[in-house]
Amino acid sequence: MTDIVDSMLDLMRRLPPTRVEENVAALVGICPDYADDLLGSVDQPLQVKVDHATGREYLACDYNRDGESHRSPWSNEYDPPLEDGTTPSPKLRKLEISANEAFDTYREMYYEGGVSSVYLWDLDDGGFAGVVLLKKVMNSSAPDEPSGTWDSIHVFEASERGRQAHYKLTSTVMLQLVTRQNGESEKRQNALPAVSQKTATEGWKKDGELNLSGSMTRQIENDWPLHDFSSHITNTGKMIEDMEIKMRNLLQEVYFGKTRDIIYDLRSVDDLEKARRQRELQKELVGFIKR
Amino acid sequence: MDPVDRIQTASSFLLQSPPGEINDVLNDVRNIISDDDSLHEGVLPALKEYNIAQFITVEVPGTQHQTVVSEAARLAVGEDEEERFLDPRSKTSFRFDHLSLEASDPQSVEPDADAEPLREALEKSTLAYLSAHFHDGVAAVFSAPETNRFIIQIVANKYNPSNFWAGRWRSEYTVDLSEHKVEGKVLVNIHYYEQGNVQLATHHDHSISLPQAIVTSSPAQSASKILALIEAEESNYQTAINDTYHEMGEKTFKGLRRALPMTRSKLDWDRVLGYKLGAELTASKGVFGSA
Repeated sequence: MTDIVDSMLDLMRRLPPTRVEENVAALVGICPDYADDLLGSVDQPLQVKVDHATGREYLACDYNRDGESHRSPWSNEYDPPLEDGTTPSPKLRKLEISANEAFDTYREMYYEGGVSSVYLWDLDDGGFAGVVLLKKVMNSSAPDEPSGTWDSIHVFEASERGRQAHYKLTSTVMLQLVTRQNGESEKRQNALPAVSQKTATEGWKKDGELNLSGSMTRQIENDWPLHDFSSHITNTGKMIEDMEIKMRNLLQEVYFGKTRDIIYDLRSVDDLEKARRQRELQKELVGFIKR
Repeated sequence: MDPVDRIQTASSFLLQSPPGEINDVLNDVRNIISDDDSLHEGVLPALKEYNIAQFITVEVPGTQHQTVVSEAARLAVGEDEEERFLDPRSKTSFRFDHLSLEASDPQSVEPDADAEPLREALEKSTLAYLSAHFHDGVAAVFSAPETNRFIIQIVANKYNPSNFWAGRWRSEYTVDLSEHKVEGKVLVNIHYYEQGNVQLATHHDHSISLPQAIVTSSPAQSASKILALIEAEESNYQTAINDTYHEMGEKTFKGLRRALPMTRSKLDWDRVLGYKLGAELTASKGVFGSA
């Protein structure tokens, strides 16, 4: 029999990405024993929280959670407060502060808004691991304007090998784009000349929504030179930047392009019968000329 | 979680199945629930609801065509009687197995003599429209219990699991000659899941007023004009989806995350670090001793 976790992951690959939180919660409800496996392998949209100490927004996920509390990267404090919440070692916390500032610059350059957070934690073998989170929400400014959200989660492990460091990066991007159409025909009607407005018949109404959403995950391993401890930030920064550029391109060109093409595999705007007749006529003509 | 809640959760997963993947979802759910006996009985209502809502198609026994299993096709029967569906084209009713998706026990049905001429005319025009614009479409035209009302249903499916995609186009039109209008809805669902999970879900509701001339024409003329209006509406909608894709690519994607920063080049990570935190990290260099 197939492993239960495999079945859960297969299910999450099929069910709508828009409902991932609800469905993960339902699976945890059915199989509480597999909660850790599931929560560790299925990425969910990031929650935005506000750091009480600094007033700055930060992102909450499984990686900065301890019990029911989340740690802010800005103040290093847990909310709700925890007496003995896990925090990085002083050396790693220093790097974490720098990484948060560097990725904040990255966020501003690429996202021109949104929220970023970086969390690091020590590993038993002496190395460390971390996660870089970025989220941007775009609300529609008008009813017909599209809205959208972008969440990216980059988990990495770093191990130092002399003057080199080896990185293993797993990146997930979750994207949702929504466009609503309401009463568009009124606009179109008003644009028509008065005569055709009459024939365009009264009382057209339209109402609709288009929701395009998805998630994808990619992995990469790289070695980079290590000049000093802060090199980890430039190294992971370059890797994450390249990965996001690649994934953004894949989502736009391959994934979303593919879903649009499939619509045309279902329905053709052009008359297929006409095309069929055209082809037959052409065959006849070719036959006629050959004779 | 008690057994009733487990079945309810399983049912919710089934109802979210992408086109053509209900068996995959069912297999996952069977493995996760690991209680075939209660599952089999428990999820039947969900399978039935899914089949009817999704316009599942079925080969009608004794005919060479497929018809649509839907609410409009369901025959009114007594509470204790077995559920039956109608194929108006062959004037046959049949039993339908919601798990195996097979029809059986065909019986001939006497159509409503007053409604039949226009229903047949609408069916003829609908089938012509279907072959002109859909690659693998199935359609059915029903006369509603109310006088002068007809329901046109169209569904087109393409399943391509070896290339990790599937799509479904559904449309439904209620033609009401007494009210001089056609109420329509179009639903498109696309799933592309090669190394990811991307889904398109659209719905589009609209109503078209029918000019007096169409209502009072002969059945054949009315029908071909009504289908011409539907054809124009659906082609407009398909073009509108294409425009929305274009706009999302141009605006929303860019608004969420730029392809490159304003500077049109990738970040200089050494400078990102140097500007903000050079001093602090230089100070800590000696402590880590990795350089």
